[in-house]
Amino acid sequence: MSNKRKIKESLQSGYQTVGKPMPQQDAWDKAFGKTKYADDYLMPGMLYGKVLRSKYPAANILSIDTSKAERLPGVKAVITAKDVPNNETVTRFGQTHSVGGFEGLYRVLAYKKVRFMGEAIALVAAETQEIAEKAVNLIKVDYEPLPGVFDPIEAMKPGAYQVGEEESNTICNFKVRKGDVEKGFSLSDVIVENTYQVPFIDHAYIETESGVAWIDDDGVITIRVSTQVIEHFREVAEVLGLLHNKVRVIGTMIGGGFGGKEDITVETYLALLTWKAKKPVKLTYTREESILAHSKRHPYFMKYRTGATNDGKLMALEAELISDAGGYVYLSPWVLLYSTVGATGPYDIPYVKVDSYTVLTNNTFSSAMRGFGVPQVCFAYESQMDELARRLNLSPLEIRKKNYLRKGKALATGRVLDHYVAFPETAEKALAALGEQSKPKSPAEKIGRGIASGMTSYGRMVFLHDTSRSYVSLDMDGSVTVRCGVQDLGGGQASSLAQIAAEVLGVPMKDIKVYIADTALTPLAGTTTATRQLYMSGNATLKAAKEVREKLLGKAAKMLETRQEDLELQDRKVVAKESPDRNIPLANVVKACASDGIPLYNVAQFNAPFRELVDFRTGQGQVFPDFTFGTHAAEISVDVETGKIKVLKLVACLDVGKAINPLSVEGQLEGGTVQGLGYALMEDVVLEKGVTLTTSLSEYLIPTALDVVDVENIVLESGDGVGPFGAKGVGEPSMVSIAPAVVNAVCDALGIRVFDLPLTPEKIVKALKKS
Amino acid sequence: MKTYLVEIKLNGEWQKAEVTAKETLIEVLRNKLGATEVKNGCGKGDCGSCAVIFNGKAVNSCLTLALQANGKEVTTLKGIGTEERPHPLQKSFVQHGAVQCGFCTAGMIVSAKALLDHNSKPSRDEIREAISGNLCRCTGYKKIINAIQDVALESKL
Amino acid sequence: MNEIDYITPKNLEEVFRAVEKKKRKIKFIAGCTNVIPYMRGEAISPELLIDLSSLENLNYIREENGIIAIGALTTISKLTASEIIRNQSPILFSAASLLGNPLTRNRATIGGNLADASPAADMAPPLLALEAFVHTKRGEGEGREISLDKFFLGPNKTVLAEDEIITHITFSKPKDSARGIYIKLGLRNSMAISVVSIALMIEMEGKVCQKARVALGAVSPTPIRVYRLEKNLEGKEIDQEIIQEYSVILKEEISPISDIRASAEYRKLATSVLFKRAIQEVLKGEKT
Repeated sequence: MSNKRKIKESLQSGYQTVGKPMPQQDAWDKAFGKTKYADDYLMPGMLYGKVLRSKYPAANILSIDTSKAERLPGVKAVITAKDVPNNETVTRFGQTHSVGGFEGLYRVLAYKKVRFMGEAIALVAAETQEIAEKAVNLIKVDYEPLPGVFDPIEAMKPGAYQVGEEESNTICNFKVRKGDVEKGFSLSDVIVENTYQVPFIDHAYIETESGVAWIDDDGVITIRVSTQVIEHFREVAEVLGLLHNKVRVIGTMIGGGFGGKEDITVETYLALLTWKAKKPVKLTYTREESILAHSKRHPYFMKYRTGATNDGKLMALEAELISDAGGYVYLSPWVLLYSTVGATGPYDIPYVKVDSYTVLTNNTFSSAMRGFGVPQVCFAYESQMDELARRLNLSPLEIRKKNYLRKGKALATGRVLDHYVAFPETAEKALAALGEQSKPKSPAEKIGRGIASGMTSYGRMVFLHDTSRSYVSLDMDGSVTVRCGVQDLGGGQASSLAQIAAEVLGVPMKDIKVYIADTALTPLAGTTTATRQLYMSGNATLKAAKEVREKLLGKAAKMLETRQEDLELQDRKVVAKESPDRNIPLANVVKACASDGIPLYNVAQFNAPFRELVDFRTGQGQVFPDFTFGTHAAEISVDVETGKIKVLKLVACLDVGKAINPLSVEGQLEGGTVQGLGYALMEDVVLEKGVTLTTSLSEYLIPTALDVVDVENIVLESGDGVGPFGAKGVGEPSMVSIAPAVVNAVCDALGIRVFDLPLTPEKIVKALKKS
Repeated sequence: MKTYLVEIKLNGEWQKAEVTAKETLIEVLRNKLGATEVKNGCGKGDCGSCAVIFNGKAVNSCLTLALQANGKEVTTLKGIGTEERPHPLQKSFVQHGAVQCGFCTAGMIVSAKALLDHNSKPSRDEIREAISGNLCRCTGYKKIINAIQDVALESKL
Repeated sequence: MNEIDYITPKNLEEVFRAVEKKKRKIKFIAGCTNVIPYMRGEAISPELLIDLSSLENLNYIREENGIIAIGALTTISKLTASEIIRNQSPILFSAASLLGNPLTRNRATIGGNLADASPAADMAPPLLALEAFVHTKRGEGEGREISLDKFFLGPNKTVLAEDEIITHITFSKPKDSARGIYIKLGLRNSMAISVVSIALMIEMEGKVCQKARVALGAVSPTPIRVYRLEKNLEGKEIDQEIIQEYSVILKEEISPISDIRASAEYRKLATSVLFKRAIQEVLKGEKT
């Protein structure tokens, strides 16, 4: 049974829409099957695209012969690297100013050397899907397989196979230095040292990558695509050698993103095909193709050494993190930076040394995925905390309570936490919510419980000059239009903007129309990533709406012969606070403004506060605007003979600042927790020498309804977030600490620890045998 | 390529299409009969997003040949309810927050409808079981089960 | 372009006339839950699809004179809805409930599951333990009655000839004193391919085992009966020592592979664990 417990500070009162649980605005159309996702679009004369992908993870391409494919009736375009105006660009991923180590090669089509299996080599557009597939099979590629390297630790060694052309396999490395860590260890009574390992993970969104592109009547290449970043229109334009304003990207309602649609997926292929064929083209990845060829969560090898005194105070932490970037750089350096800053977890540690590396291999390229490098280190540091607790005979809660950071304390990077830190409460409440420990039903069953705390940033890195823009306007009848580039992943990104506008302008949600994700028509709002949209576009919308409100109230004050401060916007009316029967319909004020030439629209830009780039030699500096703090708790039962794990209870307790839409917030907590559960128990993209063995969703397993229990949510609202109305971001934080909570629960049950994910039955059995 | 004429009673109306022997039901529904509410998540029955009611039973339309539906009835999400005449399941899903990205929703509602047609008062466990062939990556399933349970509890049967 | 033809014969005569006339690469289809993925993955390229799913007379569950007969085209969900199956062959009922997921169960057929002959075929272990027979018909020549333990030849290979179809499956209704259990171990609780599955049928007289049938799935190239174990159990008084001893013997009788789901070693271990559990559960007296 669902057990909703909300502990709030008194911010609820006084809000009309904010804080009210309500369905996302887009939910109705989705429930009626009206929403058109990317693959649902059909255009007259549309062709079907298909990508030819490399058969080897590492190889030289000796020749490509497309002649047979080109001759196949029904084929309208065949493209290889030589047909691409700018096949390679060095991209500063995520539109940043030049920051060394954050650049990476974006290669559209391989032509000399293949760097991962599934790398795109050629594109075909044909009249039917079947012809396109046949044509792809007719392209003859002559490969010279190369040995390749598939382990990042091997790839770091001198003399290792070189994945790229000139660059070293080690893309970059970051450091954090706080004091002399050996001194810290000398002050420690107990030192725990372990190596943790996590695998490649697939986003497994139910909608695969998809889009339709065409050239519009003005010659603009228009790409309608499922994407978290419409700003890729710039890269696409550069690939085609066009002016940026000659490429338009329209983002569709996304059927799940989780970071997998953050990099360019089909956009460039679509643009090239439509540009060559001069007809609309659709390209949708099959599931197998999606698993094979799109980005993955980084595997990490994490060597942790943690020292503490006998009474549980952390003294020293030394960590070496190595991530597998796969065949191309993409967002690996950024993910690494997040891991590096987050490597210590939410704990106050006097001596810290972190060295992190991200390394190219011939595996599938890794990039962004929900949590962005933090779930990996959270698994490591939260496992370490429990190991220390065991050695010191302290409870997991006790040892954490002795070490949690608080507002006003600094991270190992020197950054002082200037907002409320919800520890130890989230841990206490999460643990308490597990209630009485369940009893085993058979002698082979052992029950355990675990907690894990996470510290996850929201908002992008502060040296990026992140901005977002939103346009809010009132029409003559008082209806409201919001235009914002925000991409909607399904987490209610668009809907929350409507809620904010509704709150500020005193109109019901149904009076608000939100237009999103069109580079030609909506002010650009930046990526839907880094849990930044509520913070950034929410604030931009808030700003724009407030400025409109100012003008309205100014006019209304004159009309009602009173002061602006005496007025309120409520229920489509401007109302005098003291005497509510003195009011004017909003529409009348709008019309009056229009007659006076006072425009009732505003485009506002919200700028994230800027800080100088962090010093990569010491890791000192501020990297993120703020963090969301939370704790997950889990109770599980293990069958010690088969190793099978059964989930009994799951609790998610996060401080969300302010729940703009409590129903959405719960949805994020529940969904994020289950995604993290999958990470802990069953998800693993298995690659053997660069070849993906888990080719479909029957080999790559994500939790079904029978694998989960109802997640209990405890939503705390400190009001101390930097988002609108004091909100914090929730999308990523909700999944960061659940896997270690489950692992800690298993360890509690069995008295032994497993150091790598996922916890398959076989792994459990092996670990028990060893002990 | 050899094609056949197939006639399907789609959401109460007879529709015709030319199909090949290999063509699956989902392909003809989405590409030729305009039923894009039926979603394609994997093409081989691993995700349930393509679920439709076929001859009274919820099935994966990606694992059914179009020709196997010849002369038969197929009901999709739009046959269960529309904006003009919403089904309680649709309303419940929306109100419970069971719709996030929405891509699994059509298949979920089909499975839920099939369940309630055979068992109007399912237990929470029975609901969980009934949707165990429908993957969701966004919600964690809790609100979906709440939504279905609510309809079952409210129903007057 | 490969031309594929499709026909829906209304009766068996039409089936075999089509087989004879066309003389091409034929594939009999019904629920298509394996066939479509195979075609999509180009593992097979048939030229003629003969759809058996409308052969109504092959879709039934009957009990007559102590024999339970199931038409080959009976869907898995029909099995789980059947009182006969639930009451007379609970192990078959269990396996049917755990096959695939509710959507695939509405399409997959018992005949198709056996004819596909995956080493992990969910219907095979319980039917083996029930000593079922597969009945066939073919175009040229007589149909056969094949004991299921002689039916499988290898992964996805059976004794069926190219023009031979399964018409129905029969097994004797188990004695009232018989007890059985089916256990499936998978990496997930739905839509899971078995890592190991076991079906056990035992007839006891007091503490002595009169008859034992032990069948395993996913641990050999085909689903198998473990005859050595059965012979050893029969006539013995089953106690903890015997159970332990035989669970070890069991490991020698199977030849599991290592794949992405599990290693051979784990499968051996899990098989012996499941066997111990199965037999202990059954001895408790529950007709699970």
